[in-house]
Amino acid sequence: MRRFFQLPWRTRQQIRADVDDELSFHLDMRIDALVASGMSRDAARAQAIREFGDIDDARRYIRAVDHDIEAARRRSDYMNDLRSDIVYAVRKLRGSPMFTLTAVLTLALGIGANTAIFSVVNGVLLKPLPFPQQDRLVRIQFRQQGHGDASTPPDLADFRTRARGFDGFSHFEGYTANLVREHAEPERLVGAEVSANWFSLLRVRPLHGRFFSVGEDSPSAPQVVVLSEPLWRRDFAADPAIVGKQLQINAQLMTVVGIAPDGQGYPMSAELWVPTRFSARDLSDATRGARWLGMLGRVKDGMPLETAKAEVEGIEKQMEGLFPEQFKERRARAIQLQTAIVGDLQRPLYVIMAAVAVVLLIACANVANLMLVRATARESEMAIRTALGAGRSRLVRQLVTESMLLSIVGAAAGVAFAKWGMGVLIAMAPADLPRVKTAAIDGTALAVTAGAALVIGLLFGVLPAVQTSAGDLANALRAGARGARTRRQANRTKRFIVAAEVALAVTLLTGAGLLIRSFRELMAVNPGFQPDHIMTMRVLLPGKTYDTLPKIASFARQLESRAAALPGVRAAALGNAVPLDGTSFWLTFVVRGSAPVRPSDQPSASIRTVTPNYFTVLGTPLLRGRAFAADDRVNAPRVAIVNQTFVKRFMANEDPIGKYVEIGWTIDGVRQGGQIVGVVGDVRDDALNADVDPTFYLPFDQTPVEGIVITARTAAPPASITSALRGVVRDLDPTLPVYDVQTMEQHVAASVSRQRFYATLLGVFATVALVLAAVGLYGVIAYAVSQRTHELGVRVALGATGTRISRMVIGEGVILTAAGVLVGLVASLGGARIIAKLLYNVKSSDPVTFVGVALLLGVVAACASYIPARRAARVDPLVAMRGD
Amino acid sequence: MASEPMDLLQGTLDVLVLRALRLGPMHGYAVSRWIRERTDGVLEIEDAPLYKALHRLEQAGHVAAEWGFSENNRRARFYRLTPDGRRQLKDEEAAWRRYAAAVFKVLEPA
Repeated sequence: MRRFFQLPWRTRQQIRADVDDELSFHLDMRIDALVASGMSRDAARAQAIREFGDIDDARRYIRAVDHDIEAARRRSDYMNDLRSDIVYAVRKLRGSPMFTLTAVLTLALGIGANTAIFSVVNGVLLKPLPFPQQDRLVRIQFRQQGHGDASTPPDLADFRTRARGFDGFSHFEGYTANLVREHAEPERLVGAEVSANWFSLLRVRPLHGRFFSVGEDSPSAPQVVVLSEPLWRRDFAADPAIVGKQLQINAQLMTVVGIAPDGQGYPMSAELWVPTRFSARDLSDATRGARWLGMLGRVKDGMPLETAKAEVEGIEKQMEGLFPEQFKERRARAIQLQTAIVGDLQRPLYVIMAAVAVVLLIACANVANLMLVRATARESEMAIRTALGAGRSRLVRQLVTESMLLSIVGAAAGVAFAKWGMGVLIAMAPADLPRVKTAAIDGTALAVTAGAALVIGLLFGVLPAVQTSAGDLANALRAGARGARTRRQANRTKRFIVAAEVALAVTLLTGAGLLIRSFRELMAVNPGFQPDHIMTMRVLLPGKTYDTLPKIASFARQLESRAAALPGVRAAALGNAVPLDGTSFWLTFVVRGSAPVRPSDQPSASIRTVTPNYFTVLGTPLLRGRAFAADDRVNAPRVAIVNQTFVKRFMANEDPIGKYVEIGWTIDGVRQGGQIVGVVGDVRDDALNADVDPTFYLPFDQTPVEGIVITARTAAPPASITSALRGVVRDLDPTLPVYDVQTMEQHVAASVSRQRFYATLLGVFATVALVLAAVGLYGVIAYAVSQRTHELGVRVALGATGTRISRMVIGEGVILTAAGVLVGLVASLGGARIIAKLLYNVKSSDPVTFVGVALLLGVVAACASYIPARRAARVDPLVAMRGD
Repeated sequence: MASEPMDLLQGTLDVLVLRALRLGPMHGYAVSRWIRERTDGVLEIEDAPLYKALHRLEQAGHVAAEWGFSENNRRARFYRLTPDGRRQLKDEEAAWRRYAAAVFKVLEPA
C-alpha cells in the first residue's frame, strides 16, 4: 500500500495504550449489549470476560505483533524515503550538469590520485612481505667504521652456534646465471646464492619438487638449482617434469630440484637460487676480513624482538673479544627485514602521500565551496520544503543524500582514474623501487577510497545544511534576503576556504619547486664524461670456459677490435664497469716505499680495470702523463692511472707520476697494482650527487676480469649499433648472453630516476593543486560579483569608473590570495625541512623557490579575478538597480 | 499454551475473519458478533484468538487497520480487507470447499 503522507510511527507506550483501548472497547460493547438484554451489569461483565478467553495472553501476543508491524513499517518508510531522496537527488544533480560535472571530476581527480598513490605506497611500504610470520625475519647487518653491512662465512657459523633466540640464520649473495638452452638465445638471469636452509627460514613451500637439503651447500655436493615460478612459466612452459632435469648454467650442469612459488623475489628479485658452496678455507678464520655476504635470521616465536636484537649485539661483543683485529670498530645490529628493504624510501613516499592528500583536501575545498554556493541558491527551495512540513533532519538527509551521491560517483570515477594512473606510475617508477611492479589497487586501497568518499559525502552534506539551517529559513523565503546575516556568514566561510586552499597549494608548490630545482642542480652536475652517443652492454664470461687469464684477455682483445671496426663506431673500449651503473669495487692499497701501516689502517680506493680507449670513449680528459697503451700487456711493466681525487686525497704534496701502488688483490699469485703513469679527470661513478671516489685504474690486459662492459662511441644515435654489437658477441661465443644494454644517457637517467620520480610526482600534484586553487578563487570572486550586481550598479551610478570597479574586484582576489600565500609560505618553511634530506645543492629555505611561488600565485590570482572583474566593470547601473 | 486452538481451528478462524470483513470495514467486536451469529453457536469461538488473528492478518498484510469512531461514537479500531486479503480469502474459500466436498463424498452413503 502506498501512503501519501506519513503517519508517525507508534512508540511502545502508544502500542500498549492502543491494545488496551481496543480490548476494553470490545468488552464494554459486549457488556452493554448483555445489559440491554436484561442482565445485571456484574453478570454481564463476567459473561463478556468468559466469552473473551485468555485476555492477558491475547494482550501480550497482540502487543508483540504490533511492535513487529511498526518496526517493519519504519524500515520500509526509511527505504522509501531513501529511494525518493535518491531519485530527487539524481533529478537535482542532473538539473545542474555543470555543477555536477565539476564536482564529480574534482572529486574523481582527488580521490583517484590518492587511491593510486596509496596503492603504490601500500605495495612498496606497508604490505607485509609474502613470508609467513615475516615480522620475525631480521637482517643482521655489520657496519665497520661506518661502512657496509655485509658479513663473512665464519660470521654465520658464529651466530648459528651462539644465538639462542633465533630459529636459524642464512647467508645470501647476488648470483648471475648464463642459462643456455637449445633453440633459444642464451639468457642472463639474476639469482641468489643462499645457504641450504634459506627457504625453510623463510617458511616457503615449494610449488613442485623440493628446496635445498642439508649439506647441499658443501663444495662436494652435486650442483642443484631452484627456479622461480615466473622463470619456470616463461622458459619451461610451466612443465613440472623439469624437476629432476639438468640445465646448463654458467657452463656447468645443474639439476633442477624444485620450483619456488611466485612473489619470492627476495633477495634482489632473484629468479633462481643455488646453494652457497663455501670451501674449508672460506670458512676458516682467514676470511674474517672479507665481507660480502648478506645475513638473514628468524627470531624464535615468542621471543621479543628487542631481546633478539640485544643478543645479536652481545654476540658481536663476544667475537670482538676473540678477534680484536678483525672486529675493530665493527657493530652488528638486527633490523626487521621489511624495514631493511624499505630503507630510505619511507620518507619520500610518505612525503608524496602527504602531497596527494593535500591535493584531495584542495579538491574537497573546491567542492565544499560549490556546495555552499548551491546551498545559498537553494535557500528558498529549502524554505518552501520546510513550510510544507519537511523536518530539519529530513532536509539534512536530503542534502547528505545528494552529497553522498556526488562523492560515490566521484569515488567510482576516481577508481577508474586510479587504475589508469597506476599504469603510468608503475611505468615511470624507478626500477629499484622494491615490489612496485606488484603494487595494485587491492581491498585495502578500495577500503581507504570508500572511507574517504564516505567522510567527504557526509561532510559536504552536513556543511551546507548547517549553513542553511543556521539562518532563519522563513526570512530567506520572505525576502530573498539579500545581504542577510546568513549570506554574509556563508561568504566568509567561502573566502576562508579559498584562502586555505591557496595556502595548501603554496605548500605543494614550494615542495615541488624545491625538488625540481634540486633535480636541475643534479642534472647540471658535470659527470666527468660525455654521456651522449655512447652504447654500453655487458657480458659475463663463465669461469668454467674462460678459466685462464689469457683466454679472457684474448676474448677481450677480439671483442674490442671487432666492435671498433663496426661501421658507425668511432671508438670502442672495455672495462669492468661504466660510470653510474651501480657497480663499484673497493680495495685497500699501499704505496711502495711509504712507511708500513697495519692492514686495518690501509687506505682504500675504487678499482676499475679498463682498456686504453676507455677514456677516449667516455670523453674523460687526461690531465697529466699518458693514457694506457696497447703495449701495456701482461708481460710489460705494470702500470696504473689515478683520478684527481685520488691525487688530492693521498698524494697531495707529491708527484703521483712514477709512484708504484699495490692493491689488496692477488690473481694467480700476482699482486695486482702498477706504476702510476697518468692522472685523469674525476668521474662521478656512483651517483651524480655523491662525492667522487678516489679511483685507481688498471689496464684490462694486465688485470682481466670476467664481467665485461663494452662501450662504444658512435657517430649516429647509439641505439643504431645495438644489434651489430650484439652480433659481435654472438660471433665470438654464441652461448654468451648480452645484458644491461643501455646508452650512457640511459645510465645517467636511471641513476637519477628516484629523484626524477619524486620531482615529477610532486610537480604534477602541485600543478593540479594550482589549477584547483585558481578555479576555486575564480568561483568565489565570480560569485561575489554576481551577488553584488546591485551594489556595483549603485557605485557606477555614483560615478565609479569601470577601471576602478575592476581594480576593486581584482584587489579582493589578490588580498584573499595574499593571506593564503602568507600562511602557506610559513607552513612551507616548516614542511620543507622534512624534504631537506631529499634535496641536492638547494637549501630547504631556498629564496628563489619561495619568492617564485609567491609571484606565481599572485599572477594566477590576478588572472582568476580578471574575468569576473571585467564583468563587474561592465555592470549597467540601470539594469542592476532595477533587477530587484 | 494449553488454550491455544489447534492448527485447523487457527486456519479456520482466519478465513472466517476475512469472510466477515468482506462485508466492509468493521471493528473487532462486530467481527466477533457476525461470526457468532452466522455459526449459530455451533462453533465455540473465544474472542482472544479472534483478536490475535486480526493482528496476525494485519502483519501478513491481509487486512489494514485504522482508528475510527463506532456507531455509539467511541474510538474503535476498524479493519478492512486489503486486495491481498481478498485474494487470500478466495484461495482459502476454494480450499475449504474442496476439503469439505471430499469429506462429504466419503460420508455419503454409497
